[in-house]
Amino acid sequence: MLVFFAPIDFINQLLLKFFSAGTINHVIWPFIQIGLVVTIVAGWVAYATYLERKISAFMQARLGPMRVGPWGLLQPIADGIKLLTKEDFIPEKADRWIFFFAPYIAVAAAFITFSVIPFGPDWAVITDVNIGLLFVLAVSSVGVLALILAGWSSNSKYSLLGALRSSAQMISYEVAMGLSLVGALMFARTLSLSGAVNAQQLDSVWFFVYQPLGFLIFLVSGIAENNRAPFDLPEAESELVAGFHTEYSGFRWSLFFMAEYAAMVIVSAVAVTVYLGGWYFPFVYRLTEAKGYHNLYVIVSLLVFISKLLAILYLYFWLRWTLPRFRYDQLMDIGWKWLIPSALINIVISALAIFVIQALNGWHGIKTIDSLSAGLNLTATGKALMIVMGLAGLGLTGLSLARINWRSRDFNLKSQRRNIRLVNVPKGKPAVAPIAPAASES
Amino acid sequence: MPLVKVPKPKFMTKLRRFFMADLLQGLRLTLKYNIGAIFDKDSVAGKGIYTEQYPKVRPDVAPRFHGAPRLNMDPETHDTLCIACNLCAIACPEDCIDVLAMDVEIIVAGKPRKKKVLDEFIFDTSRCMFCALCQEACPTSCLELTQDFELATYSRAGFVWNREMLEQGRETVKYTR
Repeated sequence: MLVFFAPIDFINQLLLKFFSAGTINHVIWPFIQIGLVVTIVAGWVAYATYLERKISAFMQARLGPMRVGPWGLLQPIADGIKLLTKEDFIPEKADRWIFFFAPYIAVAAAFITFSVIPFGPDWAVITDVNIGLLFVLAVSSVGVLALILAGWSSNSKYSLLGALRSSAQMISYEVAMGLSLVGALMFARTLSLSGAVNAQQLDSVWFFVYQPLGFLIFLVSGIAENNRAPFDLPEAESELVAGFHTEYSGFRWSLFFMAEYAAMVIVSAVAVTVYLGGWYFPFVYRLTEAKGYHNLYVIVSLLVFISKLLAILYLYFWLRWTLPRFRYDQLMDIGWKWLIPSALINIVISALAIFVIQALNGWHGIKTIDSLSAGLNLTATGKALMIVMGLAGLGLTGLSLARINWRSRDFNLKSQRRNIRLVNVPKGKPAVAPIAPAASES
Repeated sequence: MPLVKVPKPKFMTKLRRFFMADLLQGLRLTLKYNIGAIFDKDSVAGKGIYTEQYPKVRPDVAPRFHGAPRLNMDPETHDTLCIACNLCAIACPEDCIDVLAMDVEIIVAGKPRKKKVLDEFIFDTSRCMFCALCQEACPTSCLELTQDFELATYSRAGFVWNREMLEQGRETVKYTR
């Protein structure tokens, strides 16, 4: 470890000769971090395509890419070269400037968000903004703008329809996504992403235990917001050729692709940070930092974060190759009739649960709250109560959703069972006259 | 007038629906296939991966598969085994075999005799249906349908195989890495 980090100290010493310590800490090291993150994410996007192709192949008893390099490992590079050297085609009737800039907006919106994501403790986070979560939600919704502009400027009906669909979908699922996070924020008591991880570390509990419903809503709406299967209506190839990027080719198309995969990483990173404890894992702190190996601690935490991230990303691929695509009205139904109400109910239930916990604290000598310094730290009694209330909330939400949506026909068995009555047809008389048996010809 | 008749769900059905048991079942199946593919062993299908990497790895054809024809030769003398009896041409339901023989003067026991010797053997693989009746008719097991299946050519004339091609085998493009 010492050998590994000696160059870093050396560079630091070298930089100190030219710049002040403040410049190095606030300008130069962030630049290095940004460079690293951008390179790693771009590399990830290339290899995510490989991973997805392999996983999809394995799920269908196929092999996937095998010809370029050993086990097809050089396939992403070949694809990249192909995309870079392809003709950058712009349709004659397209709005040239908007057509030019739409992919850049998509990529910028996806990549800026990485600046606030805590990949690990200490030096593994670029910047710790105290409104980090708000920043992620705000910037990632700018991505919708790119899709609308791309669809509109292409001047093609498929692109426009795809853009309309994806923007409608992303906006409606953004609501559920934002609302589902509120429950977890009540426990973290901060909007900072590092703060959320710290709260979970102090509590030594991952928030998805307290917030099973919130985690589920976040995952579903996250998948929907990234336009991934089974919610990939905007790219439904059987209906709209390729959605908003029908007219794009070559490098500009690959930029959209990059943005899609980067957005996937962001949503999974937020899910990991807020619900799965981020870089926190039991025993890591005690085995490394407490014994004085600071950099080892950071690196192990990074690995923990990455493995959690990969688990969520595997879920993306897994769901994509398991579930068929939803119908468009079903998609909107899930968003507006099921996810948003359940997110709201989740907020109410979480607030009630926290109120109960606070009310119980100090009643008949029961101690539930440990401290409020970083997040809501509960004692063992409080944790057990919270878990029970979270699970009870799941059932309560299901019941109230069934009550709210009792008229909705898409996912509701009871309403499907209701008889469909035809207007202006007398009772007891068949709606369609039975076909008389054809008279036998002689 | 009910147009849609949905049976009243039992409690278990409702429970399965609430916990999305069908979704989990589907996920379990794909996961099983994925793990089976990684270890190349699957409890459902028996084999993890079905893809054959064809030009690199030749597939195993069934033992009774009939493919490209071949005229066998005597392994020691390298003379053809064909005695130009024309039985294969008679047996062929598609009439795709032509046996052209010539008479050769030989002397048997001091007397000049004529012997039929194979001159040219034309086998039209474009019309052949690989029934292997010719193979069964052959008295010297000279004509044989091998298991080679790469019969495609660039022209219609390429499907007509002459004696040399039948004896030596046709040259195919070998794909190597």
